[in-house]
Amino acid sequence: MRNPRTGWLLLSPTLIILLIFGFIPFVYVLLVGFNEWNIFAAEDGLRFNGLDNYRRLVFDEDFLTSIQLTLKFAVFAILTELILGFLLAQLLTRDFPGKSFFRIIHTFPLMVAPIAVGAIWRLLVIPGLGPAPFYLDRWFDIKYQIGSFPDQALLTSIIMDVWHWTPFVTLTMLAGLSAIPKEPVEQAKVDGANRLQVFWYVTLPYLRPILLTTVFIRIMDAIRTVDEVWMLAGGGPGTRFTGIYIWRVVVPRTDYGYGSSISIITLYLTIVLCWLLFIGISGRRKGEVE
Amino acid sequence: MKKLFTAVLLVAFMLLASVSPGLAQDDFWAEAAAAYQGATIRGISESTPPSNYVKDVLAPQFTELTGINVEFETTAWDQMYSKAIDDMEANTGIYDFVYIEQDIIYSYLAQDYLVNLTQFAADNPDLAYSEFNADDFTSFVDYFKDAALENLYGVPMEAFVKVYLYRKDLFGDADIQATFEEQYGYALTPATSFDQYRDNAEFFAAYGESMDMDLWGTTVQGTTGHPASTYEFLETIAPSFGLYNWGINLDTGSAQSANGGALDGDAAVEALTFWLSMLPFAPPESTSSTWDEVAATFAAGRAAQGWVYGENAAWIATDETRSNVVGNVGVMLPPTAEGVMEAAAAGEGYIGYYDGGAFGIPHSSNNKEATFLWLQFIGQPSVQPEWAAVGARIVHTATFDDPLIAEQDMKVDGYYTLLEEQGPLFAGAPPFPFHAQVREIIDPFIQRAILGELTPADALSQAAVAVDEELTRLGYGM
Repeated sequence: MRNPRTGWLLLSPTLIILLIFGFIPFVYVLLVGFNEWNIFAAEDGLRFNGLDNYRRLVFDEDFLTSIQLTLKFAVFAILTELILGFLLAQLLTRDFPGKSFFRIIHTFPLMVAPIAVGAIWRLLVIPGLGPAPFYLDRWFDIKYQIGSFPDQALLTSIIMDVWHWTPFVTLTMLAGLSAIPKEPVEQAKVDGANRLQVFWYVTLPYLRPILLTTVFIRIMDAIRTVDEVWMLAGGGPGTRFTGIYIWRVVVPRTDYGYGSSISIITLYLTIVLCWLLFIGISGRRKGEVE
Repeated sequence: MKKLFTAVLLVAFMLLASVSPGLAQDDFWAEAAAAYQGATIRGISESTPPSNYVKDVLAPQFTELTGINVEFETTAWDQMYSKAIDDMEANTGIYDFVYIEQDIIYSYLAQDYLVNLTQFAADNPDLAYSEFNADDFTSFVDYFKDAALENLYGVPMEAFVKVYLYRKDLFGDADIQATFEEQYGYALTPATSFDQYRDNAEFFAAYGESMDMDLWGTTVQGTTGHPASTYEFLETIAPSFGLYNWGINLDTGSAQSANGGALDGDAAVEALTFWLSMLPFAPPESTSSTWDEVAATFAAGRAAQGWVYGENAAWIATDETRSNVVGNVGVMLPPTAEGVMEAAAAGEGYIGYYDGGAFGIPHSSNNKEATFLWLQFIGQPSVQPEWAAVGARIVHTATFDDPLIAEQDMKVDGYYTLLEEQGPLFAGAPPFPFHAQVREIIDPFIQRAILGELTPADALSQAAVAVDEELTRLGYGM
C-alpha cells in the first residue's frame, strides 16, 4: 500500500519553489494592485486606494488599445502558425530528398533568443538600412515604414512571430501525427472517406489534445510578448501590446500600483481566454466526464 | 670633465623636477587606494562616445594606478535608467556609480539616492585628491549641486549642446546655390530662421530625388517607438519657438494654458506643426530614428542639415571609418523664432537643450571610498582634453584652451568654440522631480501626431490634460 506522505515528500521541493517564486510574488502583486505607489510621487510609499486602479484601467484608452492589439496579434499569429505548422508536419511525415536538412533548417529559428529575433527583423525592415523596404519600394512601389504605418508594424510583428514559432507547432503536430494509429485512417479510406473527411473525422480528433496544448502555450506566449516586438519597433503605435504597456507603466513611469493591477487583469484575461478555448476545442461542457 | 659631470647632474635634476608632479600624483593614487586594492567597483551608463572612452581608456588607466577594478556597463538609454533606479530604490548595491543625466538629477535628489560628495570629501580627507577641484568645471556643474549650490552630488563627465549641422559641400556648391536662388529668390545659406530651414529642407529633398541620390532635406528624430521624439520636440524644437520647461508651470502645477501652463499654447502648436512639416523632407528612417540613428543618418550623408546632439559632432566630422561626410560638416546654432535669441541672451529663455551628465555614488554602494577615488580620477584636469576631443564633450573650463581641442575645433567647424561662447544660450532640463513620469505621459500624443492620427493642436491639448492628471496623481498638481 502506498504511503501518501511519500508523495507529498517527493513533491515538496517543487511546491516550495512554486510557493516562493510563484505564489508569494503573485500575492504581492495582487496587494500592490490595491495601492497607489509611485516612487517619484510627492508622497512616497504605498497608499491604499481600493479598486481605483481597476476603475482607472477601464477608462484607460492606451490599455484598451493594447488589449485589442494583443488579441489581434495573438489570433492572426497563432492561426497562421497552426495552419503552416500542420502543413509542414504533414510534409515531414513523408519522405523526400533533403528531408533531414530541411528539418534542421526549419527548426533553426527556435534556437534563436527572442531578443536576437527582434534584432534580426529590425535590421531587415528598418528603412534606409534593411533590404525589405528597399526592394518593396523598388520592385512594387510599396512604402514600407514600420515607424510610420502602425498596420505595417503589426503585420511585421505577426510575420516575425510566425517565423519564430511555426517550427514549434510543426514539431508538436509531427509528434501528434506520428502517434495516430494507421488502422482508423485506413478503415475510413476503405469506407469511402475522402481526404478532407479523413482529416476532419479521424486525424483532427486524434490531434485534439496536442492541438489544445499547443494553442494554450502559444496563447500564453503571444499575450506576454515583449522582447521581440520591443526590439523590432520599440512598442510604438501598432505594436504597443499589453506586455509592453505594462513595462512602460512599471519601469519608466514607476507606477507600480497601476502596473500591478494591469498585470492581474491581463492574467485574468489569459485564463478566461484559455478556458474558452478549452471548451471550444475539447467540446467539453459543464458536468461532462471524459 | 668636472663641468661635464655638473652639467649632466643639472639636466638630471631638471628632468626629475619636471616629472616629479606626475610621480607625486601616482603616489597619491597608490597610497589612497592601498586599502581598496583588488576591489571591484561597478557602474552603468548609456553607450555613448564619452562613456565608451571611460570604459576603454580611463577605467584601465585607473586600475593600473590603483589596483581597483572598474566594471563599467554601457547599455541602452532606457535600460540604464531602469537598472540604476531599481538598484537604488531597492538598495541592492549592485552599482557603485551611476550615470546621472542632467534631467533626472532632480528626481534622484528628491528620492535621496545620491551621496553628497562635498560632505564625503570633508569626512574623508585622506581620499581627497588635490588636483580635483569643483571650481575647474564649467557652470554645467551647478546642475549637479543642491539648490544652495553648496554640495556636489555628481562629477560631470559630459556636457554638450544640440547643434545645427549642415553639409558644407552641398551648401557651398555653386550649381546648387544657383538652382536654389533661381527657385526661391534668395541665396542658399545655412538656416537661421524656420522659413529658411523649411526652404532648405524642401529644396534638398527634391534635389536628392532629382539626382537619384540618397539625400534628404533634414534629419528628424521622429521615432514612434521611443521617447527620443518627445525629447526632440520638447527640448530642441519647442524652446527655439519660445516654449520653455515643457510648457509646465511648476507654480500652478499645470501644463494647460487655462491654468498658467503652455503645452497647449500657440507657441507649442506652432513648434509642433513646423517640426511635423519636416517629415516629408526627412529620410524614411526618421520615424524609427532616435538620437543614435539621427547621427548615423547625418554621418551617412543622407541629410543636408539637421539637429544633432553635439556628442556626435566630433566623430561625424573626423572619423572616416564611420562617417561619409568628414571635412564637410558645418556647425551653427539652431534656427530660432523671432525674439527667442534675444530672450536667451538676456537670460529670460533658452534656444535649446544643454545636455550632459555626471557620475554619482548611490547610497546603496558598498564601495563608496574606492568609487570616490574613481570619480576624482575622471574629474581631474589631465584626462579632460583627449576625452573632449574624442567625445565632443567639455566639462572643464580650461579644456577649451587646450591645444588638442584647438586643433580638433578646426576639424569640427568651431563646435568647441560655439560650445564655449554660445553655450549659455542653451539650458538644461527643467527641475522636475517627475521627469520620466510626465514624459511618458506625453510620448503617445507626440507619436500619434507624427503618425498623423492627431493634429498638432489636438495632440498638445490632450497631452496637457493628461499631464495635469498625472501631476495630480503624483501630488505635484493643482
